[in-house]
Amino acid sequence: MVAEPMAAAAAAAPFLGFDDVAIRLGGREILSPTRFTVARGEFVCIVGPSGCGKTTLLRAAAGLVAPSAGEVRREGRVVRAPSREAAFVFQDYGRALLPWRTVEGNVSLALEAAGVPAAERAPRIAEVLAKVGLAAHAQKFPVQLSGGMQQRAQIARCLAQRPALMMMDEPFGALDALTRQGLQDELARLVREDGLTVLFVTHDLEEAIYLGDRVIALQADPGPGRPSLARMIDVRIPRPREQLGTKEHPEFLRLRRELFAFIEQGHD
Amino acid sequence: MKAQGAAGWFGSLAVFAALVALWWAASNAGWVSRVFLPTPQATLASLAEGLNLRDGQGNGELLGFTQATVGRMLQGWLLASLAGVLLGAAIGVSPAVRAWVQPTLEFIRPLPASALLPLAISIFGLSAGMVLFVVAFGAMWPVLLATVHGFAAVEPRLAEVARCLQMPRAAFVWKVGLPSAMPDILAGMRLSMTISLIVAVVGEMIASQSGLGQAILLAARAFRASELFAGIVLLGLIGFASNALLAVAEKKLLRWQQP
Amino acid sequence: MTSGAAIGRALRPWAFPLVLLGLYEVYARRAAALGSDALAPPSAALKAFVGAALDGSLWEATAFTLGTAALGLLAGAGLGLLLGIALGLSPRAARMGFLSIEVFRPVPSVALIPLAMLMFGFGLRMELAIVAFATFWPMLVLVQAAVRQVEPRLLEVSRMLGLSARERAFKIVLPAIVPRLFVALRLGVAVALVVAVTVEIAANPHGMGYAMMIAQQSFDPALMLAWLGWIGVVGYAVNAAMQRLQGWMARRMGAAA
Repeated sequence: MVAEPMAAAAAAAPFLGFDDVAIRLGGREILSPTRFTVARGEFVCIVGPSGCGKTTLLRAAAGLVAPSAGEVRREGRVVRAPSREAAFVFQDYGRALLPWRTVEGNVSLALEAAGVPAAERAPRIAEVLAKVGLAAHAQKFPVQLSGGMQQRAQIARCLAQRPALMMMDEPFGALDALTRQGLQDELARLVREDGLTVLFVTHDLEEAIYLGDRVIALQADPGPGRPSLARMIDVRIPRPREQLGTKEHPEFLRLRRELFAFIEQGHD
Repeated sequence: MKAQGAAGWFGSLAVFAALVALWWAASNAGWVSRVFLPTPQATLASLAEGLNLRDGQGNGELLGFTQATVGRMLQGWLLASLAGVLLGAAIGVSPAVRAWVQPTLEFIRPLPASALLPLAISIFGLSAGMVLFVVAFGAMWPVLLATVHGFAAVEPRLAEVARCLQMPRAAFVWKVGLPSAMPDILAGMRLSMTISLIVAVVGEMIASQSGLGQAILLAARAFRASELFAGIVLLGLIGFASNALLAVAEKKLLRWQQP
Repeated sequence: MTSGAAIGRALRPWAFPLVLLGLYEVYARRAAALGSDALAPPSAALKAFVGAALDGSLWEATAFTLGTAALGLLAGAGLGLLLGIALGLSPRAARMGFLSIEVFRPVPSVALIPLAMLMFGFGLRMELAIVAFATFWPMLVLVQAAVRQVEPRLLEVSRMLGLSARERAFKIVLPAIVPRLFVALRLGVAVALVVAVTVEIAANPHGMGYAMMIAQQSFDPALMLAWLGWIGVVGYAVNAAMQRLQGWMARRMGAAA
């Protein structure tokens, strides 16, 4: 399935929109006025050096932090507080899981919070655990799981929310390369299956190009009057993508060179 | 710290047996006056007599005293734990309340629980109820302080997860706050049990309430060393058993901590 | 932060207790007016406190309690330290001592009060013995654990350097456990003080606990409350001092453990 022209879709009915959102925390302007939109079903990756505000941007999209200026809109409504329709995957998965509940119990938490009656929970939990490949480990406690499995458990809990939007904050950053690659492909498959809209923050440029339909590059300390959002590039590489072939695709290599050069430039 | 293997257990037993043998020799040979150090056999005899172990021959007093002390200890501990967890949760969930109240709690922390006995006596007089009140009140603080700390130390990431899931406050306290605080609360309850026993014994001593505390005091005053030692042995057993049982319960409840 | 806010911050810990004391003051004054001899308002307690400070009874009793607690701690924690190091260094000895320690440790120190009474009568020695017993066990357990958790790499280094057992104990083990030792010491000080006061309340006719008991028995609630408050203040001050000492030591030793 080839990527659809994203520009047209975005202009038509933005699913998520940042209207000149600026965020000040602790006296510093973490994010300068930023404006962009995300269409339904898009996978947008956000990259940038440390301190550019990418995590803060993500948290603003989730409603975890309020903008100092501008608005975040989701499906036309202003985002003021976190909502179950927007699931958030944290980087420190170990701290985002309840250590006293099993994998099953952790996933169940999302359903309990949504008020799903007890009888309906079991099949939904089983469904979502099967999707992330943790069906055999449902009764294990987080401390008994590897890093990759813990992150999958967190993703399973997020999927159980049946979210429209999934926000992921460097979700694979703490994992080893092999596990990371496996999870990238699993995530791509899940997103395709469920038609999720994804906002994905990462410091890994290749990961961003590999996973995304679009890559947004932020810059740190842009200077007064200049936006944090420095560059937006569309990734026109066909899907489904795979670790070896895609990374040798000429378009991939071109984008990679372009992004690397751009980030390097920003370091002057 | 576990004794490893049969050899470890045997060595341990041997050392203990050697100490008992030393006790036997010192008391029987009179190296230490039998006024202070009764012989092991006399101690056992007092135990058997007091606990009615000899076909109803004994007076069974010690059994009654033990029940009284254990009863006081457990009742006070249960009340203390309940009050401590409820109050502690109420204080601990709110950073605002904590900020105002915590310094006062920190002042009360080092206060000996038994120091409340004179105050309680002047209010309630010398009675079993008075002792129970001080046991419960004194034993409440470790649980309360531990609960406050447990709730204050809830992983902030989990609080964010709860926000993302739009979890109502009450559900958060019950499903995230309380289990998260459980290790601290259980540790506090263990300390609380130790304090309950101590205050129960001291309370019995000074308020002349029937129990092991009063029994050993009277035994000492009457120079009945074997009865005194029998009482000490029983108090040691109570301390050991209560702690061991709580440790087992703690392990079961905190199963999720072990990989 | 403005100085106004800073003053507010400094005063905030006092707000809650002062409000409580204020309420109690009102309540107790009314009770005293009705003839109660059980409660006294904080203002009367303060007066009684000043009286005891001026006539010397305050300092005498406080000195006794603190002195006895210190001596008992020296004996008990000192022994606990030595045995803890020995058992920590020798897993074999630790295994052999395990049963005996587990049998004697759970005996509540207050249970030994009548025995100590019998052996020493009333006075310093009896209280000292109980405090020593009470402080021995936590020190033993904590020091033993601290020694066993000394970085094994350091012990390997000591073997490679050919250090004698004595050198190893003093040059490697002891410095390595100092931070945790101070934590254990802090606990020991708290236990020593609590046990000393408890012994005085239960039996020993000396010290702060006894002074408080006597005040209650003489139907002098103001003095009794004064003693209760003073015991609290002393306990708090001693613990706070130990905390600062521990913090200072941790900074000096690189705050590793």
